[in-house]
Amino acid sequence: MDPKLTEVSQLFDRFKAAFLRNDYETSTNLLSKLKVLLTEFRSLPPLFADTPNAVHELTIARDIYEHAVVLSVKTEDQDAFERDFFQLKPYYTDACNRLPPSPQEFPILGLNLLRLLVQNRIAEFHTELELLSSTALENPCIKHAVELEQSFMEGAYNRVLSARQTVPHETYVYFMDLLAKTVRDEIAGCSEKAYDYLSVKDAKQMLLFSSDQELLEYIKEEHPEWEIKNDSVFFQKAKESAPCKEIPSLQLINQTLSYARELERIV
Amino acid sequence: MTQDLEMKDRSTPSNSASSPAPSTLHHLKEIASLIETGSYSKEVRRIARAVRLTIALRRKLTSSVISSFLDFVLTPASEAHAKLSAYLPKEDDHEMEVDAATSAIQTPAKHLLPELEIYCYLLVLLFLIDQKKYNEAKACSSASIVWLKNMNRRTVDVIASRLYFYYSYSYELTGDLAEIRGNLLALHRIATLRHDELGQETLLNLLLRNYLHYNLYDQAEKLRSKAPRFEAHSNQQFCRYLFYLGKIRTIQLEYTDAKESLLQAARKAPVAARGFRIQCNKWAVIVRLLLGEIPERTVFMQKGMEKALRPYFELTNAVRIGDLELFRNIADKFATTFSADRTHNLIVRLRHNVIRTGLRNISISYSRISLADVAKKLRLNSANPVADAESIVSKAIRDGAIDATLDHANGWMVSKETGDIYSTNEPQLAFNSRIAFCLNMHNEAVRALRFPPNTHKEKESAEKRRERQQQEQELAKHIAEEDDDDF
Repeated sequence: MDPKLTEVSQLFDRFKAAFLRNDYETSTNLLSKLKVLLTEFRSLPPLFADTPNAVHELTIARDIYEHAVVLSVKTEDQDAFERDFFQLKPYYTDACNRLPPSPQEFPILGLNLLRLLVQNRIAEFHTELELLSSTALENPCIKHAVELEQSFMEGAYNRVLSARQTVPHETYVYFMDLLAKTVRDEIAGCSEKAYDYLSVKDAKQMLLFSSDQELLEYIKEEHPEWEIKNDSVFFQKAKESAPCKEIPSLQLINQTLSYARELERIV
Repeated sequence: MTQDLEMKDRSTPSNSASSPAPSTLHHLKEIASLIETGSYSKEVRRIARAVRLTIALRRKLTSSVISSFLDFVLTPASEAHAKLSAYLPKEDDHEMEVDAATSAIQTPAKHLLPELEIYCYLLVLLFLIDQKKYNEAKACSSASIVWLKNMNRRTVDVIASRLYFYYSYSYELTGDLAEIRGNLLALHRIATLRHDELGQETLLNLLLRNYLHYNLYDQAEKLRSKAPRFEAHSNQQFCRYLFYLGKIRTIQLEYTDAKESLLQAARKAPVAARGFRIQCNKWAVIVRLLLGEIPERTVFMQKGMEKALRPYFELTNAVRIGDLELFRNIADKFATTFSADRTHNLIVRLRHNVIRTGLRNISISYSRISLADVAKKLRLNSANPVADAESIVSKAIRDGAIDATLDHANGWMVSKETGDIYSTNEPQLAFNSRIAFCLNMHNEAVRALRFPPNTHKEKESAEKRRERQQQEQELAKHIAEEDDDDF
């Protein structure tokens, strides 16, 4: 066996051991070493050279990047997630005819969809979705993300929140928690426009707070314009399109003058 | 997807069919001489005409005609001749020999133009594709592409762009588009370096097509946004570009721009390109639905398209009524059509619009309605319909889709009275934006007027020039005198 390959697999074993112990610092260090070592294989993307050990090397590299993605979720580092995911992607798209499919493929693709949803990158979300085959769309991990997006767009927020209980993979929880925060802000924005007032009890329930104290703090920080009296939250209903009392004379004069100028140019 | 490929070919009806043509070979010889003159006088126009004439002859090409043409144009013993003849089937050997013998006597070996050689490649390729010999077509087109890479002549460009097209087409027919992507990129780079704009245009479209074939919208958009753009040389290529652009934008949720591109592509496409226009219309219908518009009935009743657009017509109907149940049934009923058109994911996105339309209808008809009834009318299939309905309604209110308020304690939705719009500034704003649009249109039209260079100078007749010079002299004298006065 190729000595380089042996070195990588030994290091990878140590990484996996550290990873299982939840020792993230050691695993991150080992991971950077592994990535450097991987650059020496010519069979990996973008070269895809046809070396004798190609299949073996590709498999181990894919495995390493899959672990890297999961690690970045555990360390809650979204930038690292994006980087690792993009490095991993060619293994799924361009090397699929040479390698047996990975069992981790759909969970990771679903995780990426979820990340795009959390970061509100909906256009990219749909671009990624187009790449998936119809069988992939049936996979519970992918379906979960797709349904979340739909509920999110419709405004069925409680469906988004209840989806947290049915996550298909433990790594999804991190993003689901992030999503819950986004959902709370959305609900607050919608309630502000839709209701005249809400009782404190209802508002607490709707915005998913466990105590009145949390609710009050949230209002103080995010929406200081809301008013609390008689045990109810009153939303400021300003900016109504009141009938126009005054004629905006200055604006009208400006417009008329510009029409005159343009017409003169034509005639 | 394949129909639009045939666009160019169908748009040129074979008008030569009416007259009893002397012989196809004779026509081909005429075309060859056209190319020759075009090449010597460096007139690209003539070569473009030759290509057009060839497409008209396409249906009449036979193996014997082509091989005798090859004998006529190429030196029989040359390398190109041997290569090209190898692609042709040898069924009617006898007739061919006679033809070859006569033509060989008529034309002694002469200097071969690169345009003619490349034209022979095009001819053979067309024949092979029509005969459904795709593997030979692939080999032939690849050989021609290798040869083209070393050929830097502006007069070749027109034929070359057609060759690129059939190169990609032959690979698409056998389903190996991914193989040639690198090659197409290299060709695009070469075309850019040589300022071959027609080639760039064609190759960019082929690349976009290549990417979109594999749903690689991200790569397609990156290439498109970075590739140089210039005024379109060929209407057909421009139509295709607009169509691909529309598709990319639809996927990336830029519906307004997508609609514009798709409708423009459908309008600009020649009438004969029915398949292409159907595709454009399908996508345009979906984009308009996603935008919340309802396409008119006439869109679906266009001649020759009723049948193809039928599923989309029913879909539109479901969205218009705002009935989730009906929408779901139609999506299931035509699922195969939609996934063949690769619009399935877009239709999933439409669900949201169906709910919105339904909600709007409810809000118009009722001044007050309980949320439980809203959920029932929308036919929301969920565990907790009232809570779902409440949050859906509140989002619709925030997005401005309906004008209403919610009462949580009583659990109902109260629609607001629609106020008198004429008491606000709204009409005036609308009026202003329309006037601005018209004025802008006029200004753009003026700017787009073209004047041939130097016309204003030619108008000045000899007499006028003399007059002007005289005036100038007088003025100069005058100034000089004034100068003198100062002293």
